[in-house]
Amino acid sequence: MIAPTRVAATIVIGEALPVLDKRFTQVDLVAYGAATWDWHRLHYDLEYARSKNLPGTLVDGQAFGAVLARAAQDWAGPRAFITKLSFKMKSMAFAGDTLRAVGEVTAIRAVEGGHVVVLAQRLMNGERVACDCVTELRLPAA
Amino acid sequence: MALLTDELKAMVGREVHYPAREELGQASIRYFALAMGDANPLYVDDAYARAAGYPSIIAPPTLICETCQYAHRPADEDGYIGHEWHLPVPNSRMIRAGNEYEFMRPILPSDRISVTWKLDSMSERNASRGGTQLFVNAVATYRDAAGASVAINRETIVYQPLGAA
Repeated sequence: MIAPTRVAATIVIGEALPVLDKRFTQVDLVAYGAATWDWHRLHYDLEYARSKNLPGTLVDGQAFGAVLARAAQDWAGPRAFITKLSFKMKSMAFAGDTLRAVGEVTAIRAVEGGHVVVLAQRLMNGERVACDCVTELRLPAA
Repeated sequence: MALLTDELKAMVGREVHYPAREELGQASIRYFALAMGDANPLYVDDAYARAAGYPSIIAPPTLICETCQYAHRPADEDGYIGHEWHLPVPNSRMIRAGNEYEFMRPILPSDRISVTWKLDSMSERNASRGGTQLFVNAVATYRDAAGASVAINRETIVYQPLGAA
């Protein structure tokens, strides 16, 4: 039994996505770096990070996109296909930080074979905005 | 101080191609999902993915846009193995400003993905806290074994002088 996929007719503009919290411990940074072949010292060598004027080991910026994609896919369901993910960095995140993905539906448009849903997503790092994102998903015809 | 030198300007338009060395593979996909703490069965459960209409498990969307996996060289002194332009911007640090990903179709473990990076443009801007920053825009186009474009990654990196931090 597969999870349901959202149907355009039941989505309203302004609908909020469920909040997704993703903490990046130092272990998570090593795991993400390993899974993406990224062995850069910024992600695990604190002395090195400090030599670059950073307060801690750095969360890979592309991991922000991965969190946002996960939040969008979780909300939309398994048959939805993310066609666009456009994110702008607003502040850096470091080991130990928890990123909170929030978002809402800003537009729905019909396309051949289904609909495209546009989301405005944001990653919060405590009180700070870490990242803003415009995401588009294609939903199959119901 | 001007960051955008003639030497840098001359590099705009440069392209670098990284061939596909192997299939993406189920292990890479499971590793990435595990590292992200993402329990979506689309990435690990073949029967589930087929029931959802896919030919097999699929990759989390941003996986193939991760830069380092296409590399085939030893790590440099920073531990980095991925694509870079080796821009001569002395005494600076690189910070990601943003990415715009476009995805054309779901990526399967059987896909052999290659990527071509193009150095698209550079511009200089004054930083809000003083000093000058160099914005570098690059475009990565990911193609499957048939040569069809499956994803595009428009990436903006900022070079900040270290003294200005």
